[in-house]
Order: sequence, then C-alpha cells, then structure tokens
Amino acid sequence: MIRRNGFTDESLEWRSWLEPLRIADASPLQLEVLDESHAQSRTSPYYLTLAHQPLMLRHRSAAYNAIMYAPGGLPRAERELGAMVVSVTNGCVYCTSVHAQRFEQLAKRSDTVEQVFDNPASAGTSERERAIARFAIAVTERPHALGADDIAPLRAVAMTEEEIIDLLHAVAIFGWANRLMQNLGEPADTTT
Amino acid sequence: MPALDIPDNDVIDHAAGLVPGDALHSARRFRAKVVEATQASHDALLEQPVGGLSTADRLRVAIHVCTLASATSLAQHYQARLAADAARDAPPAAALPAMLQFAAALTTDPRNGDRAAIDALRHAGLADPAIVALAQLVAFLSYQLRVVAGLKAMRASRGGTP
Repeated sequence: MIRRNGFTDESLEWRSWLEPLRIADASPLQLEVLDESHAQSRTSPYYLTLAHQPLMLRHRSAAYNAIMYAPGGLPRAERELGAMVVSVTNGCVYCTSVHAQRFEQLAKRSDTVEQVFDNPASAGTSERERAIARFAIAVTERPHALGADDIAPLRAVAMTEEEIIDLLHAVAIFGWANRLMQNLGEPADTTT
Repeated sequence: MPALDIPDNDVIDHAAGLVPGDALHSARRFRAKVVEATQASHDALLEQPVGGLSTADRLRVAIHVCTLASATSLAQHYQARLAADAARDAPPAAALPAMLQFAAALTTDPRNGDRAAIDALRHAGLADPAIVALAQLVAFLSYQLRVVAGLKAMRASRGGTP
C-alpha cells in the first residue's frame, strides 16, 4: 500500500452530496443505463447520483468505456498512467486511488505510482512514461496553449497517431471524471 | 478501420478544423465509438429536457465556460446554437448567476468543489436532477475543449496539414 502527499492506492468509498437515486424509484431506462454503465452501479452512490440523468450517463459511460477499455492502440496500463497523472494534478484523491490500482494490476508494478504521488512532473520509469506524464499535465493545466511542441515528445518515443489519440482521450476524459467526483461528493475511508 | 457513418456535423471536427478526407479526421475514426458517444453526450447534455434548466441557459453556461478557458472555436459554436434557439429572447432563469458561478469555479480548478457550492445551487432553486445535469455539462466541456485543443496541436505538429 502506498500513501504519499494525501494520495493512496488503497480502496476508498465515495459519498454523494446529492440524494442518490433509490433503486426502488428507478425507471426502466434508469435501470438499463445503470446496468450498462458498470457492474456494481446499482449499489454505487456515484452511479446512482448520475442516474438522475440517464441519457447523459448512458453516453458518458459509452465514451468512458471505449476510451479506457477498447482493445488495440495505446496499452491500457499507459491509459491508466495518463488517468492517474491527471487525477493527481487535479487533486482528485478518489480517482487517483482507483487508477493507481488499475495501473498496478495491468503493469504488475507500483514504482511509477510512487513517483506520480511524489511529483507527476518528473514521474516515469522510462522516457515513454515521462512523456506520457508531461503530456497529461500539459493537457490538464494549459489546454489553450497546447501546440506541436507538446506532441513532439510523444512522437520521439515512437507513439503512433492512433496511440496519441488514445492518450489524448484518456487524459481529457479525466478532466470530466475528476470534476464529477470532486463536485458532487467526496471520498471517504472504507474503515469509517 | 471501422467504416461507421458519422454525419458531417460533428462538433469537435468543426471546432478543430477537421474535414472528411483529412488524415487526422480518419485517425480520429480509429475510435469511432468515442467519436459517436462524445457527440451523443453533447446532444443529450443540451437537448434532453431538464426541469429548471432550459437549453438556452445551458448554452449560456457553455459559452461562459469556453470563453473562460479560451476555447474560441467552441465558444463560437455555442454562441451560434444560442442565436438559433427559439427561446433565446426569453429571460434567463433566476438561478443563472449561481449556475455561471458554479461553472466558472469548476472549470478553473476542480478542487474548488465543495458542499457549499451544491447548497448554493439548491438555494437558487435547482433540484438535484438539474444539478446533476449542470455538473455533467460543465465537466463534459472540460473534456471536449481538451480534445479539441489536442487535435489542433496534432494538426500543428503535422506542419499545419490536418
């Protein structure tokens, strides 16, 4: 288990500041969208909160699942690295814990996670990981000022056009995911 | 490459200056499902009826967010949508100032979120389903404007030819 700078790779709970939908009150559409969004969504305060707007949740989940899980393109561990770096940069403790775990499961190591928790700007155990981390920070912090200079380091580590698009999607969608997690509720320790 | 038929009204393509036939337009279709779900999200966020949250007010929020983030081409898209909205001249909801404040805080730094911001929206008269819709819209815009900015950077790195 890693705990540094307020971040952890341990499992956390999340508490909603809104009234999550009660399953007993759910419409057939809401149940359908919950089931297609995530395996545990019927008991997840996060999904039950978002289920107040089922069509918005449906298309968000379709985008998210295609970005993070589709086969081919950028290796999934590298998408998770991008997601984790954005989550640390945005200060989203909950998302960071989830995606640190996913990275560890896919990469079968945790050295990069410690580095990201310490300082995402210098994190990475290879040139390729460092290029991914720096790009994730640039997209997060200064989207209006992105340019060719931000793409060159990705090409320099032999990323294909399709891989760059996968990375851009993974990094950008955590601008979306972090904002929901950080503005509709807060993380809670599983032990409390 | 999936040959999914995506009509030529994709908001991100327009904002990033991609047209069918461009190499980058084709490369983006490597993830046709993402292209499709992103556009469907945009449509659902703006067009789904939401009690207390008119489409015109959602467009006003989108314009505010994109202007704050210097996402010029997207701001123009939402301005054009508002100009074409039948309810553009109807007065905005009394809750609009609170909505714009919430949107600005969330866009500038997601750490700004707290329970007090949610309570302010409730006091302004928004029910929880409307707050979910507003938060989804603002969070989506953060994603959309970053995809547009990234595609523009990719285009620039190809020497300006998309």
